[in-house]
Amino acid sequence: MRNRWWIVCVLLLSVASVAFGTDYAIVVNPANPARALSLVELGKIFKAKTTIWPDGKGITLVLREPNSPGTKFILEKVLGGTFDEEKAVLSEPSRKTAVPVVFAESDEEVMRIVGSNAGAIGVIDVYNITGGVKVVKIDDKQPFDPGYILKGR
Amino acid sequence: MKTRNYFFWMVIAILMASAVARAQESAPAASATDTIPVTTHSAVAQHAYEMGMVQREDRLFVDEGLEFFRQAVKADPQFALGHAALGYFTTDPKEAKQESALAVKFIDNASPDEQLLIRWMNSTKNGETVVAISAMNDLLAKYPNDKRLGNLAGEWLCAYQGANERGEAVLSRLLKNDPRYYPAMNNLAYCYALSGQPQLAPPLMEQYVAALPNEPNPQDSYGEIMRMLGDYPAALEHYQKALQIDPHFNASQVGVASTYALMGDERKARAQYLVAIKGTSERSTQIGYRILYAMTYYRENKPRLAREEFEKVDAEAHSAGLTVQEAEIHRAMALFNPEAASALKDLDEAREDLSDTRTSNLLPGDRDNELALILQARAFIAVNSGKTEAAQATLKLLENMAQTNRSTPVQEAYHSANGAVLFAHGDYANAIAELQEDPQNPLSLQLRAEAQSKAGRSADARKTLETLASISDERMETAFAAPTARMALKRDATRPAQGGAN
Repeated sequence: MRNRWWIVCVLLLSVASVAFGTDYAIVVNPANPARALSLVELGKIFKAKTTIWPDGKGITLVLREPNSPGTKFILEKVLGGTFDEEKAVLSEPSRKTAVPVVFAESDEEVMRIVGSNAGAIGVIDVYNITGGVKVVKIDDKQPFDPGYILKGR
Repeated sequence: MKTRNYFFWMVIAILMASAVARAQESAPAASATDTIPVTTHSAVAQHAYEMGMVQREDRLFVDEGLEFFRQAVKADPQFALGHAALGYFTTDPKEAKQESALAVKFIDNASPDEQLLIRWMNSTKNGETVVAISAMNDLLAKYPNDKRLGNLAGEWLCAYQGANERGEAVLSRLLKNDPRYYPAMNNLAYCYALSGQPQLAPPLMEQYVAALPNEPNPQDSYGEIMRMLGDYPAALEHYQKALQIDPHFNASQVGVASTYALMGDERKARAQYLVAIKGTSERSTQIGYRILYAMTYYRENKPRLAREEFEKVDAEAHSAGLTVQEAEIHRAMALFNPEAASALKDLDEAREDLSDTRTSNLLPGDRDNELALILQARAFIAVNSGKTEAAQATLKLLENMAQTNRSTPVQEAYHSANGAVLFAHGDYANAIAELQEDPQNPLSLQLRAEAQSKAGRSADARKTLETLASISDERMETAFAAPTARMALKRDATRPAQGGAN
């Protein structure tokens, strides 16, 4: 297997690296016309200030369980406060009729829910992306772009 | 293909039988089988494609594998997956661009799942990482028992994306399902070696060599792993065993040469590189070996001879139309050029190589990856020589590139150059964070150690220097930065660690 790795080292250089966390991707149903959101707009969805998409479909937020490292990171990045404060935002009773939050046990489950619900928006590790969901840009950037806000460390 | 021995032909006979079996599996009626179909109207093309995969992926006979892929697309010029595979595996950037374009041109000839595989192969080359991940995951879900697909994916994740944990998961799953699937065992060992778990690699290598005692690649891989771990005598022993099994296994020939180079025996290294150069008919590979040959003069501190040798290789690369290699040669010359102004001129030439009209023959990804490295080197040289404005201007160029090209080399180069500029402005905390985004590049590690030291994080600086000192590979950046780190550690060996690690 030497040659491949030699090519990697000598021609591309510095490609291999240790795992440094991951980028998180915001995903929607492929039928959803949304292609991009600003971080502010995403924050409004998380806070249930925005409850419907421009085409009138109700929004459902799909996240991994609230104490998972990914969700913790996302809440802090999107909502800007401390984790405990932001977790409380998600569990407010009024949300259930505004933007319901569904907690999934895995990224696969997040994608299954988003893929079968035209109004759902979810967050997953970018390395788990499949063709069953669509990645939306945040502040005009997508995962792996420099300055992408949901880049985990 | 070269004649080897009786065992070799036995293996080939078995593999050909397997190839026929796979070819039968891939007929349209069998699309529900475990492996991705291969669609071509030509039985010769289908057989050559399978043999290309056997040689390139399973046995690691790289040149032979490429030759089979070329035969496949010659037999069926509209064979989309054949073109995509050749474009994916070739080391010649011109061929990569041409073949990827042909794969797209004839993509309608391929089945939907092959189209997905073609999309994955092409996207990995073009820096469209999200598209590539999506295609890869869809294929892995649809063909969970396609071992070769899983192996390709695991290898890409580890080697090209630095997503070692994910690559390890894919490869481990393959081995759980089939503990005798040796290509995955081989890749998993490399993944471990690169992800900070090197102790897990040798036991896998022991299994690999024991299982395939008459194949050269297991010994070759074992040699490379041992070299990565810094055990040069063991590395030489395994490379030589590989060459005893097959004297034409050129990867081991260059392995021997590079091990001597790392040991400081540059004369022996040059003699061995010359054998390796003669042993390959791939022009781009030859030029790559010539670059390593020229590097030996830098290693023994003979910069004039090194420069002369690089100029000769540059002329050859130019006449062969290998513009990326020409640029790489100028980048090497810059890195070892003690005069900053002259080094920046070398880098200007490197950029000119890539802006040459001939680069219209290159995939944007191949051109951009090298251009990013040139700009990164430029930023570092400018910072080191106090030319902060030049560094800032270079960073701007890299930033623009990084906005549109999401490939790992481009992104790492951008963050690293940004770290260098932040360092120049005395913003050590942010410089460290940015340089950490390029964790295996010796230039970034060197500057990171310096930034940590200036920030009062002596223990972190020492750790970073230890990481840098332990890198044992053929890269020009390693030859440039690792010896200094080793000397610094030796010098500081008696001093106690200070500052907090975090």
